[in-house]
Amino acid sequence: MTLFKARNIQKRFGARVVLENISLSVEEGTVHGIMGPNGAGKTTCFHVLTGFYPPDDGRITFEGHDITGRKPHQIARLGISRSFQIMNLFDDTVVIENVILALPDFRALSFNVTRNVFDDITLVDRALEVLDRVGLADRAWQKAASLSYGNRRALEIAVALAADPRIVFLDEPTSGLGAEATLRLMELIRNLREAYTIVIIEHDMRFLFELADTISVIHWGQVIAEDTPAALRANKWVARSALGDVA
Amino acid sequence: MTGMLEVRSLEKIYTKSRLDRTPAFRLQADFSIDAPRVVGMMGPNGSGKTTLFELITGSNAPTSGEVLVAGRNIHKIRTDQRDRLAIHYHQSYQVRHFRSFKPNMLMEPARSNYPMLHLFDEPQFNTQDGYIGFMLDFFRKLQAEGRLVFLCVHPNERFHLEIVQEVCESFIFVEKGTVTPFADYPTMLAHEPAQAYLGDLLTERAA
Repeated sequence: MTLFKARNIQKRFGARVVLENISLSVEEGTVHGIMGPNGAGKTTCFHVLTGFYPPDDGRITFEGHDITGRKPHQIARLGISRSFQIMNLFDDTVVIENVILALPDFRALSFNVTRNVFDDITLVDRALEVLDRVGLADRAWQKAASLSYGNRRALEIAVALAADPRIVFLDEPTSGLGAEATLRLMELIRNLREAYTIVIIEHDMRFLFELADTISVIHWGQVIAEDTPAALRANKWVARSALGDVA
Repeated sequence: MTGMLEVRSLEKIYTKSRLDRTPAFRLQADFSIDAPRVVGMMGPNGSGKTTLFELITGSNAPTSGEVLVAGRNIHKIRTDQRDRLAIHYHQSYQVRHFRSFKPNMLMEPARSNYPMLHLFDEPQFNTQDGYIGFMLDFFRKLQAEGRLVFLCVHPNERFHLEIVQEVCESFIFVEKGTVTPFADYPTMLAHEPAQAYLGDLLTERAA
């Protein structure tokens, strides 16, 4: 079943056209990769698909419902979650607090600065459950600032999962990660695919070739190729590139 | 049948200054293309390749002559709709900037949603990242969908010649403002200025 669909999306900033014409479909229960060279429009694509920027033209549907132009919080409420390229955590708090703050049940309560985040044991349990999914349950009570770069990325994903989404968008999850942390992240995403539909925007082809079921290659603000990793790898220019050894 | 692209007695003259009207650069072109295909365009820097692309996409006004895209004079189309007929893909990012003294409401609508012409101006080809193959497939896909593709390449490595031979059916060589079309790659290579321009790359290839 097609869970998420974008049709003929265009996005301009004044005279600058960033997305010319983007169309893609994400099937439920799959990992869909969006890759492209620098300047291809990947991050803008991420922002438009997740409702941060309204498109100038085109339609976005989720479970068959038109969500074009809805506000980010409305889109989040429907079950679409996203994590960012730039680390977005509360460093001075403990790991679990970052997750509790993102839980819908916590957010639903009126905002009260004097309230203790840890008062509600069900929220703590729920946050621990989410942390367990990304392998951080045993680090729940550490300061977020003390986490390694790779674990911070995992925590960010946990924050995105806190809202119990149907689909999770990850923007360049490997950015800033070393080889080992990238492998661990790959493992983490592999485990998550059981429970979530995942869209990964990434410039690292190798990463997507390993993880994705389907990939949309974007360039010049358009989808220039779309296929399975195996079919894309078969391209003779891919075989000739630095990726040839893994292909 | 109307050609996909007709460039009729097109001329663009840049003068030395507003006061001194002596021509400093003159670009002349007269050719037409009737069927969807991928056309390779080459020529030395400053020969007028980008100017030709600008004239075809309507972001630069000709001194005389006209450009018909799918039978429509591009310079009479509303400036905000010209990219529905022809798109100029710049090297790094896409800026559409059109100037016209005539207000859009007095010009013709594009009456098209998906552009007929796609002009790629020296796209960056990097053999390391593997994207070349997808880019070439995209040019072929556009052609299969009935579009006309121009691929402007300034070859400075041998694989650039491999790329144009792989994907381009016909060629256009631009030198000092003169635009010469060729039916295929060998015919272009027989053209002395093209040979001189590609010089070293051709010898390396033979080596």
